Amino acid sequence: MVSLSFLNPLSSEGEEIVREKGSLDHISDINAELLMVVRESESQKISNDSYIPQSYADLAVKRVEWYARKKNDKKYNHNDYAFLLNPEITEFDVISFYIAAQSVGIKFKPNSRETRLMIEAQGKLVEERLEKIPSYQRKEIVDNLLNQLVFEDNIPWTSIAELLGSKKIRLADLILDQGEVILEKDDFMDRFDEKIIGRPSEKMYDLLIGERIKIMIITRMIMQNTENYIKRVHDMASKIEPHPSLLQIADQITEKINESISYYSSSGGGFGGDIKASELVHEAFPPCIQKTIEGVGSGNRNDAIVLLLTSFISYARLYPSVFRNDISMKISDIDADLQITINEILPLIYDAADRCTPPLFEDDPQEKLNITAKLGFGVHTIPELKNEGESKWYTPMSCEKIKIHLSSLCKPDATCKNIGNPLSYYNRKRWELRKSGGKSKTNEDTKNDE
Amino acid sequence: MFEASTLEERRRYYREEWNVKELPDFIKKDLNKREFGFDHLGNGPNDRYRIFKTQDMIRRFMRYRSPFAAYCSIAFYNKPWQRGDWLKSELVFDVDAKDLPIRSCNCEGVCNICLNEARQIVLLILDTLRGDLGLKDIHMIYSGRGYHIRVLDEEVMTFDSEVRSQVLKYVSGAEAPKNKYVLENEVDQKPYELEHFLIPFGYPAVFTSRVKHSIMHITGKEKIENINTKLLKDIIKYRNLVEKGEWGLFKNKIGPIRYKNFVESMSQLNMGIVDAKVSIDLKRILRLPTSLHSKVSMKCMEVKNIENFDPLKEAVPKFVMERKDY
Ligand code: SF4
Ligand SMILES: [Zn+2]
Repeated sequence: MVSLSFLNPLSSEGEEIVREKGSLDHISDINAELLMVVRESESQKISNDSYIPQSYADLAVKRVEWYARKKNDKKYNHNDYAFLLNPEITEFDVISFYIAAQSVGIKFKPNSRETRLMIEAQGKLVEERLEKIPSYQRKEIVDNLLNQLVFEDNIPWTSIAELLGSKKIRLADLILDQGEVILEKDDFMDRFDEKIIGRPSEKMYDLLIGERIKIMIITRMIMQNTENYIKRVHDMASKIEPHPSLLQIADQITEKINESISYYSSSGGGFGGDIKASELVHEAFPPCIQKTIEGVGSGNRNDAIVLLLTSFISYARLYPSVFRNDISMKISDIDADLQITINEILPLIYDAADRCTPPLFEDDPQEKLNITAKLGFGVHTIPELKNEGESKWYTPMSCEKIKIHLSSLCKPDATCKNIGNPLSYYNRKRWELRKSGGKSKTNEDTKNDE
Repeated sequence: MFEASTLEERRRYYREEWNVKELPDFIKKDLNKREFGFDHLGNGPNDRYRIFKTQDMIRRFMRYRSPFAAYCSIAFYNKPWQRGDWLKSELVFDVDAKDLPIRSCNCEGVCNICLNEARQIVLLILDTLRGDLGLKDIHMIYSGRGYHIRVLDEEVMTFDSEVRSQVLKYVSGAEAPKNKYVLENEVDQKPYELEHFLIPFGYPAVFTSRVKHSIMHITGKEKIENINTKLLKDIIKYRNLVEKGEWGLFKNKIGPIRYKNFVESMSQLNMGIVDAKVSIDLKRILRLPTSLHSKVSMKCMEVKNIENFDPLKEAVPKFVMERKDY
């Protein structure tokens, strides 16, 4: 049977392992046992030494690298990382989980790209590892994990509010009764059997809840715990001198993530091929953005400029595929010396602000600081590299949010129908424009060839 | 009825009729942690950041100023005079009769009919808050033009806007429910179809009840996104099936493709049942129960028995009854 710490390294078994074997002094030494487990993992590629983690430190980096490449690299091959799904690796994996989490926590802020990838990697590992466990065993493991993670018999929905806030679970996807999330079949039958007419209640349970919801909750909880752990490390890091090898590992993690992103951009885009930063195509702006650029009246003015336009223009210009890639970046990852930000993006936003009635900065000069903050450079008059990371680079709000907060700006047209965010509108429209205008361009190209 | 009140009438109200003792307990408790706001001239609450340490201070303020409108924050602060050091906020749902996406009266402002429809929606929401969500410390306030549902269960008061918006969508039926489900060991097979009306509990049941309310109140004059006149007519034509609970037949009459769009549109329409801005704003101020809604000359008041509440009997101030045309 698979050990629970294979899935939940923050469990007491996991902590036990670390207490026994988790000294930081030899984490970069070659570990023969680890090498053996890796080599013997089913379908693991071993042709190249770089596939094989040699030490705890290597493994810590590999855990994050695996996920970054899986997301970004078209040439990602699961067999490069098959060892991650091998239960034999549990002990090593637990220790390297702590090493990776501590490295990330010491070096990076809790909302950094590195932290996020570490957390998401853990979530993905839980999902994939559970998937590989044969179903007759999985049921028991899932139940045990759940017991370990929640202390009451039933989970009050209010206790998983953090997960709801993360938007990975919709409240509407859970079955709730009397304030509790219904997870167990017996409980389900007790409460609803009599109400269900015309079909077997048990099947209804399997369809509506089953293992699916349990696994969803387990995964989200483990991710949340990972996040909390990294935060704790981060808070403590200011008080204690960090172990130098942890800092080294943190740098390696960043390096690997950057590599994976460059794989992505060099392997050419998917739909639309618009992965790279490129000139703005004004004709592809959705109605809400067009309206904002023309200037907004007093009621919606501040939010339209500071929240909607700032995030839209910056992402459209620098990182239009943020939602498809689903990796958060910093502006300087793309615009290294901030030349585009200062010379193209900000002027567009400031001009629109001036066209508002009354002009935004006239009665709210501090909104300039807020615009800088929304670009990820903290509360300062102008974006500067040294301040980057003090705040988050805000992603454009969804159409749904716009409809609530800025309803007067949303005047949907045909393209709006199938999209949920102005940025997706932009990508789609740009692609459509290119497609329809594309033919003539190809003609031109051939002409030039002649 | 529903006419604005004069300054003279306001003075009379606050001197003769209003009593600070009648403030609901949930307001009196921790009074000094809330921010108060006032509208003196009828153009919005711009006298804000006020605090009252004791009930007597409110009493005096109301008597002397007789404000056009009075508000207090749903938030509790350590420093309410600067909205600083936020502690927690009530979870609120604002159901305004004037803004209901579907109302059978078609009146300009509010009237008996839409006020009553707002009350029915409040009852539905209340049922979900108590039943599905297991919440207990819930207060209903008649606002003068609709209702505020104010939840003070400790567990929900620290929620951020994100979670509040999820709860909002749940209780108002603003998510299209899933209708395709897969079994774990049959992932490659065709998913099962299970429409919301076949599931008599949980969110699907909430959605069903909200949609039923809408269907029964549609007049045919509405403009609903993605529902054309033909579909609107058919909905009205077959709504007796919904009334009898025969949703399967109703869906057949509408047709599977149109039904899918109908469900989508309805979930979007339901977003308008409750004013979302109010629910997700942690620092809102809401009309103070017991105060006068001067625009319509009605009392804003806590409603203990919402099943039988009739604002035209219980929320009319004396000075209105004594008006010549009453
Ligand atoms: S639907 Fe979305 S993209 Fe289109 S106008 Fe509205 S908010 Fe903008
Ligand atoms: Zn009416």
